[in-house]
Amino acid sequence: MLNCSISAMYNPNMASQAGPQGPPPLNPQQGPFGNAFYGAGSEFIKTGLGAYGEKFLGSSSEFMQSNISRYFSNPQYYFQVNDQYVRNKLRVVLFPFIHRGHWTRITEPVGGRLSYKPPIYDINAPDLYIPVMAFATYVILAGFSLGFIGKFSPEALNYQLTRGLLGWFVQVALLKSLLYSMGGGEAALLDIVAYGGYLFTGLSLGIVVSMFWSLSYYVLVPWLSICMGVFLVKTMQRVLLTEMRSHERHSSRQHYMLLFMGIAQIPLFLWLGSV
Amino acid sequence: MIESSLSLRLNHKNKRKKQLKKAKKQNTKSKTFFPPSMAKEFSVRPVIFPSSTPSTPYTRRPGSSSPPPPFQTAPRTSSPLPFIPFDIPSTSSAPPPLYSGIPIASSSSGYFEDEPPLLEELGINTRQIWRKTVSILNPIRLDPVLHEDGDLSGPFMFLLSFGLFQLLAGKFYFGIVLGWVIMASLFLYSTFNMIAGRNGCLDLYRCFSIIGYCMLPMVIFSAGSLFLPHGGTLIFAIGMVFVFWSTWVCTSLLLRLASCGDEHRGLVGYACWLVYLLFSLLVIF
Repeated sequence: MLNCSISAMYNPNMASQAGPQGPPPLNPQQGPFGNAFYGAGSEFIKTGLGAYGEKFLGSSSEFMQSNISRYFSNPQYYFQVNDQYVRNKLRVVLFPFIHRGHWTRITEPVGGRLSYKPPIYDINAPDLYIPVMAFATYVILAGFSLGFIGKFSPEALNYQLTRGLLGWFVQVALLKSLLYSMGGGEAALLDIVAYGGYLFTGLSLGIVVSMFWSLSYYVLVPWLSICMGVFLVKTMQRVLLTEMRSHERHSSRQHYMLLFMGIAQIPLFLWLGSV
Repeated sequence: MIESSLSLRLNHKNKRKKQLKKAKKQNTKSKTFFPPSMAKEFSVRPVIFPSSTPSTPYTRRPGSSSPPPPFQTAPRTSSPLPFIPFDIPSTSSAPPPLYSGIPIASSSSGYFEDEPPLLEELGINTRQIWRKTVSILNPIRLDPVLHEDGDLSGPFMFLLSFGLFQLLAGKFYFGIVLGWVIMASLFLYSTFNMIAGRNGCLDLYRCFSIIGYCMLPMVIFSAGSLFLPHGGTLIFAIGMVFVFWSTWVCTSLLLRLASCGDEHRGLVGYACWLVYLLFSLLVIF
């Protein structure tokens, strides 16, 4: 994945060190977990502590990677996006009614197993770029609206960040519990995190509009939450259809749960949006 | 007649010159303290310090023309000033040491000249920092080669001055700025490497360095915001201009240094924009 050349990790103009040189890394670490250490710090820290860091982080990152790949699917898949995908996906998320096509994800056989196409090729595939950016936008917009009221302080912003994270977690928990209750619990965790994060797009839009006209917020929130509900219902239906066993399809219980999930968006939006 | 008088005067002049030369020679001869072989090499008495510890005298055989044995000094730039060693053997023993361009290590004191200068040892290249700073000021013509090797001292200076200008406005934000910069560089590092995929080769050190250098417009903005009315549309508009400047420079540098091609410019640019919006929040409110 992230095959950085070793030369890029070491500064070319590093002064010759009198101290002990750390052993060069045997293999550049895959993924973001191992790379973070090699770049940080000055040359002295790099060579002096690099030897120890290699010992501690090297063994533990392999352990982490082997275990994390069980719970997290490859995160790089979710960031294969481009401008066009982002624009279209935003349109789908904010106004799900105008999506003409179908909602299923395109599958392709890769190495003998069926896997989904990456987001560049498939508008229905979830991605992590939009949720993360939308979350950061939400936090900064919350800061701006706090500032316009006059209650801005960095501590208040940190509090908003925590609230946003909690809201994201609640949404993910809601979706996951829904899936479990219907027996389709094998969906990838990062998929659910991505679906849960899409709510921040509508939320950010609501906050932007409410900055200009405060009353419009109470008009927008129901609209946006209904939009998000519809989007989630449609996607979850597809997820359930692919994950579930055949004899439980189209049951009324399933429909009620999906409806509950759509309605639950309203209080979530209201809570997160009240800055 | 005239010629003869002229020639007579010239002869007289020559005679005077010769006499003067003779007198000079006699004078020097009378003042010489050293053996004749040393007379050509120097003409000043060495200084004798009374408290010098008798160490092993640095002897040199008279008449040998080879340079003193090479001493292991750190490679250094030219030092035009000659160095007088601190401890000098007593005059009764061997002849005094020479002046030399290469410093002679004495036993206890005088060891400073072997170490590189402090800034060089710390790795702070002030000229490079200045050049990098000046290159940020021109957002249209960027030179990514300058920023290829990361540098922490420039960003630290910018962050400190940012905090200083905020302090002048009455807000004590040093710790917050440091914490937010770390979080922002972690965020940008992970996002950039994920988006760029196989081509992306950004390490955290360089990411921090680029973010820090592109804070220069924000530092200028925070300095300028001291003179603007607090919390109005004017400061907001000016802030957006500076944020856009920072974002443009940061995105261009990131894309040209750590990946090949411009394909994800909008995506990376949005992430950078978020980072600098965060810092403008501190300034505006």
